[in-house]
Amino acid sequence: MLGLFKENLLIALGAVFANKTRALLTTLGIVIGILSVTMMGTLISGLDRSFEKSMSFLGRDVLFISKHAWFSNDNWWDIRNRPDIKLEYMDKIKQQSKFVTAISPTMQRHIDVSRGEESISGMALVGTTPEYVQTSTTNISEGRFITEGEDRSGSRVVVIGNDIAESLFKNISPIDEYVKIGPYKFRVIGVVEKQGKFMGLFSLDNQAIIPSGTYFRLFSRRGWIQLNAKVDEAHISEAKEEITGIMRRLRGLRPEEKDDFAINQQAAFEDQYNAIKLAIGGTGLFITVLSLVVGGIGIMNIMFVSVKERTREIGVRKAIGATRNMILGQFLIEAIFICLLGGLAGLSLAWIGSLLINKFVFPSAMPIWLAVISMGLSLLVGVISGIAPSFKAARLDPIEALRYE
Amino acid sequence: MSEPMISLKEITRVYDVGAEKVYALAGVDVDIHNNEYLSIMGPSGSGKSTLMNIIGCLDSPSGGLYNFEGESVHTMDDNQLASIRNQKIGFVFQTFNLLPKLTALRNVELPLIYANIPKDERMVQANLALEKVGLGDRVKHKPNELSGGQRQRVAIARALVTNPAIILADEPTGNLDSKSGEEIMKLFDELHAQGNTIILVTHEAYIAEHADRTITILDGKINTDITKHIKRDVS
Repeated sequence: MLGLFKENLLIALGAVFANKTRALLTTLGIVIGILSVTMMGTLISGLDRSFEKSMSFLGRDVLFISKHAWFSNDNWWDIRNRPDIKLEYMDKIKQQSKFVTAISPTMQRHIDVSRGEESISGMALVGTTPEYVQTSTTNISEGRFITEGEDRSGSRVVVIGNDIAESLFKNISPIDEYVKIGPYKFRVIGVVEKQGKFMGLFSLDNQAIIPSGTYFRLFSRRGWIQLNAKVDEAHISEAKEEITGIMRRLRGLRPEEKDDFAINQQAAFEDQYNAIKLAIGGTGLFITVLSLVVGGIGIMNIMFVSVKERTREIGVRKAIGATRNMILGQFLIEAIFICLLGGLAGLSLAWIGSLLINKFVFPSAMPIWLAVISMGLSLLVGVISGIAPSFKAARLDPIEALRYE
Repeated sequence: MSEPMISLKEITRVYDVGAEKVYALAGVDVDIHNNEYLSIMGPSGSGKSTLMNIIGCLDSPSGGLYNFEGESVHTMDDNQLASIRNQKIGFVFQTFNLLPKLTALRNVELPLIYANIPKDERMVQANLALEKVGLGDRVKHKPNELSGGQRQRVAIARALVTNPAIILADEPTGNLDSKSGEEIMKLFDELHAQGNTIILVTHEAYIAEHADRTITILDGKINTDITKHIKRDVS
């Protein structure tokens, strides 16, 4: 049986090489199909990884109390007219909640940071309290974070992000050096560990974190404050309910009134991300299925032609003792061989593509299981598209086949 | 007389042509013995090709009994027929029917592949068969690099390679010039002398002359069945 299989493989090889252009054109559908399924898979797995990495800065166990929901279709004007989130809420929430373990505010604006001649614009100035260390996943790589005393007295100290540290301090440690934030001079007390880019899009390392007291005194009394409440992750939904209740009481809302604030969590991003993933996956799947079906029909067609062209050969093979199954096997192997060849070509292109994505877009690599699946898919297309022509060949009457001109 | 190798009794082959039934064979009785040299003659449409196809197990009779070495062929299924064709019958066709992309050796090897014989043994037997037909030096040539006579020799080697019970040749010289045809017929004579059973289907009298026994078919029936009583002295 192995001899026959090898023989059939050689026949298939011969048939494919005898009609190189035809084989190439026929496999195009399979190539595109496999290319799209593997590229889609690589893309999604790369996105997953970078999403996970990016999301870690938010923390799964933190609720973000803010004027507006992160992803919503609410009327902007309505949101604009909501009352501001006040710093006073922090103590009350902490007192009344049994789930909140730490809470910190963040206030944000864009600003230029400079040192001597060097200046970088568009940095994120963040005002917060010492508890920020607990409510965020920020790790200090050098120096220390803000203290209670510094916050209360409004000291001009700053913890800078990795980007700022690297661009303003080339060869020396930034600790105890000075930078200018806007027009004010600040002493650097710490550097935040490198966090990378969010989804490969914008940097998380351009923050300049200063005490909230300082922020109010020098930059803004008003502005949008967000409260970050760290809770027990196991009770996050209960905590959300509880804080909603506390906020409504603080705001004095009547039962029929809608919330005039929003409590966000990382899950909001996940929902948003899953929607994007679904869109990519759906589109990829659509293209894949479409091109595999078209490719499969093409191969079926070419196999019918091949059977027709080789009718006499089939007759001869039957006359010298080939059974139906042997003829069936011969043509089925040929169809599968063409499909696998197309699959392999698609896979190679996708591999090159994934290397390019890895180099220029975001870190990604084609998972092995995807390569296995795509080859399995090629095999399946080969079997499905080869079965009908092979049956036709196998069922040919040897006498008529021998007489065929 | 010993048990015949091939025994046909009341063989009919009917084709439905619309509402009509056409009898290609209308009751044929023949016994063929081991090492016979038989020719089947008849005008086109007489049914000789149908008879050959049935003897060659390419076709099944509509009625009657066909025994091949004591086994009843008329009850066999497709796979069994394929196996008989592979093991017991060697076909030689008018148009050679070699596979053009394969070398002479690979063409001859083909029946052995279907017989599931290991590679080494295939090579030995295929080379041997090609030597037997005088093409030991042409094994690597493809059909289009060989003359008509040489191609037919390759086809005969392919027919011989499985040591079949009979060699069934359908107009083996029909596509050859008279000199090559003569050589091919000489080869058949030699093969018969070596003990092979040979059935020739032809409409040329001088080809049929080579055989010891000639059956003529007319309108689906055996018309004449003449055996020459010439003792061939091979002493």
